[in-house]
Amino acid sequence: MTLELNDMQGLLIRGFGNLPSAQYVLLRFSDFTGGKQYLRELLPAITPATDKPDEQAVQVALTYAGFSFLQLPAEGLASFSREFREGMTESHRQFILGDNGENAPDNWAWGNPAHDEIHLLLIIYAKDESTLAEKLAVEKNRAESYGVLELHTLPTGLLQDHKEHFGFRDDISRPIIEELVDNVEKKPGVTFPAGEFIMGYKNLYDEYAPAPSIPSSKDVLNVLPVSADLPDRKDFGKNGTYLVYRQMEQDVFGFWEYLKGASKDNSEAVSLASKMVGRWPDGSPLTLTPEKPDPSLSTANGFGFWNEDKAGLKCPIGAHIRRTNPRDHLVTERTQKDSLEMAAKHRMLRKGRPYGTPVSERLVPEEILGLPRDDEKRGLHFLCLVTDIRRQFEFVQNNWVNFHKFGGLDQDADPIIGNHYKSDIVVSDEFSIPAYPVKRKLKNLPNFTTIKGGGYFFFPGLRALHYLANHE
Amino acid sequence: MSTIHRGLTVSVVVEEEKLGQVNALLTEFNQHAKVNHADYRANMPSTYFISWLTLPAQEYAERMVLPPRILLMTSYVGRKKQHISELVHFLGLRLQAVFELSKPGSSRLSSMEDMMAFVNEHTVFQAFYSGFKFIPTEDIRREQEIRSEVYGFLDKQRSVPAFATQSPSEIKKTIEDFVSNQGAFAWATEGLKEIKRDKLRMLLPLGIFLLVMAASILCLLLSFFINSPILSGIGLVFPAFILILALLFVWLRINENNPHIPNEPVSDDWIREIIEREKNPVLNEMTVIAPLKKGLIRRIFLGLSLRLITLVGYFSYIPTVHTARWLQLDGGRRLVFIANFDNISEAYAHDFVDSDNRSRNMAVVFSHAAGFPATKWLVKRGYNHRSEYMKGVRAHQKITQFWYAFNTELSVENLKNNRKFREGLFRDMDEKEIREWLLTI
Repeated sequence: MTLELNDMQGLLIRGFGNLPSAQYVLLRFSDFTGGKQYLRELLPAITPATDKPDEQAVQVALTYAGFSFLQLPAEGLASFSREFREGMTESHRQFILGDNGENAPDNWAWGNPAHDEIHLLLIIYAKDESTLAEKLAVEKNRAESYGVLELHTLPTGLLQDHKEHFGFRDDISRPIIEELVDNVEKKPGVTFPAGEFIMGYKNLYDEYAPAPSIPSSKDVLNVLPVSADLPDRKDFGKNGTYLVYRQMEQDVFGFWEYLKGASKDNSEAVSLASKMVGRWPDGSPLTLTPEKPDPSLSTANGFGFWNEDKAGLKCPIGAHIRRTNPRDHLVTERTQKDSLEMAAKHRMLRKGRPYGTPVSERLVPEEILGLPRDDEKRGLHFLCLVTDIRRQFEFVQNNWVNFHKFGGLDQDADPIIGNHYKSDIVVSDEFSIPAYPVKRKLKNLPNFTTIKGGGYFFFPGLRALHYLANHE
Repeated sequence: MSTIHRGLTVSVVVEEEKLGQVNALLTEFNQHAKVNHADYRANMPSTYFISWLTLPAQEYAERMVLPPRILLMTSYVGRKKQHISELVHFLGLRLQAVFELSKPGSSRLSSMEDMMAFVNEHTVFQAFYSGFKFIPTEDIRREQEIRSEVYGFLDKQRSVPAFATQSPSEIKKTIEDFVSNQGAFAWATEGLKEIKRDKLRMLLPLGIFLLVMAASILCLLLSFFINSPILSGIGLVFPAFILILALLFVWLRINENNPHIPNEPVSDDWIREIIEREKNPVLNEMTVIAPLKKGLIRRIFLGLSLRLITLVGYFSYIPTVHTARWLQLDGGRRLVFIANFDNISEAYAHDFVDSDNRSRNMAVVFSHAAGFPATKWLVKRGYNHRSEYMKGVRAHQKITQFWYAFNTELSVENLKNNRKFREGLFRDMDEKEIREWLLTI
């Protein structure tokens, strides 16, 4: 099935890596009419997937509160998924996501509706900082003139060699959308039907991803396509998807100090950190090169665990990359095929960017280990696109990242992004490293990342935006 | 003592107007069990799980109302009689208070014997699955403890320079010496004698079934050469079995042509009420109870399927599940499914739909229940199978008013891993096997 790229926002198929400057602006409508006028004016500025801009790009997503404020018909509002309607901070969602303790929404800088209700996310990319500043000024003026209030502006900054702040190469394993590749060779766990990430297309279950829709009678201007599953309804979700946003602050010094304390020298600290991540700092996977990094494998992604490392002697079962993408080996499965099928059903299209000044330009761990602590705030704006928040994002966060029994482990949450704590009934602050003759357990892991904000957004197709801006 | 993990289900009809009263009692008892969990563990040592709930009246095939019921579902290790006695002696007054409400008029369950007879009388058949088949409750704690102690011991050895260079068999010897020298672990030196016997006992029904079929095939072949009515008679068993199955399949296929009636969507509030109860940190429980789709063949086929599931129970595997059971009530018109599993139901339900094989296996049971997705020839799934299955589960999920679990801290994989460690102690192994065994610590 051909993708309707001209109806999609560009972020669905590209990361705008050629536009290294970016800011995320969180906004709130204050007036229904003004809000719709604002969207009407904003629409031509939004970068469609057919464009590959080299100057700037603008993308937009709305929260449930935003759609509600703009009076999307009640039937349409009700057709969004429950988790989107409830929002990231609803108490059960908090439970699922492990947002308690330090990570509780009460400690967030944004995203807690008790403090400020967000309606809109504007993502602005530019080729450089001055172009970004100009574009930001334009967009802020536009918003202000229609009474759309700027709540937060969150800067980003790409780091050297595609690294994240701890000093590891990031974002290597990316799902490939089959419909975007000519003569694609389908590979389970590597290539995916578009419906996993874009609504209006078939997903891995050979179903159309559940999408918001409205009664046909409410589409007076006949803007929207007919729903594939519900002939009497119009598809508001087509060419759109859910966007999950989590601002994760990284305690870079805390991370390396902990590892230094657990090691006899810097080299061992780097090895331990790599065990936690599952890749060496240069990105080479432990599964393929367990003893030392191999720069020629820094973007290697064609490996599995079933044949190479079932016991986790190279890459521990609880390592970050193994928990967020178990590939072809889930401890609870009896066959490689079942593992592959299970793991593939929970992938996400990551689109986030780091923020904050890096502790050093090159982000080499041996250098970081010698640096004095600073007070700079830095981390990752984690953004992912999924057609099913519960099945994809929440499942991974709950069942693989935070469940301390993942893969037969005892008391281990994800060592990098898991919520580490001890309570009367749960201990989740350990990390087990299988080894001969006995595994090594790192204990009392502090939280190396904490959530500072977040929300569930819907990233609509252009026709859906047009409908929203013009509906009665 | 048998170490086979089995299920017991007691089902009684209750009047609609008494449901509120029963629910209030069960809710109160549930609170009591939570507060006094240690007492429950101490006084019911054979009991792994108890789910006790009421089931409202349900409509079957648009023409019959299935009555409200009280369901008591336990799982246990050991003898059934002993387990019932344990339940009755410890939960006696509570069982009495609830089950007397199911009885007409003023009849009483005045003695322990009455109660035991009552429970026995109302026990129903079920297909039962256990994720850990031969582990008595007392082994849960001590197998975890011994593994943990051995780990602590080895962790300390790490600082000894020669430790990491020892051969696997030397390490194993060190471990076994350590265990032998701990008086508290004397039990671990005795091995697991009952398991072989229990495995055979579990496999016996399947063995008999296969034997009968094999004998029938043999007799059938011989009957071509030897003219004997006995041989011919026995020889007909296998073809008759196949023929009956084939006819049942055809009958089912005809029934599958009935239009699919999807479930009514359930409200967000109902889902919230259910998932609010799934906040236990390691394992949780789920009960799904649905009337069957209309047609006698559905009842017959499900009954047959459940018996076949029981027959091959030893070999079945469902990841992350501690126990699961399927049973039919009200003349086979109702399907009850209950599971105790790791983590939360939203994650657990994916285990059934994300794997193609498992999704097909689940269809063998759930495709007979009203609202669950339609199939062709039982296993061929149609469009939207996954979504409809997930909706079906939620639509028919019931709130379990009383839930007790002996083990609240260890996952299925933890239990199996602890057992693997224990099984390896004092057992002869080659160096490769020992290396693998050491990974269980």
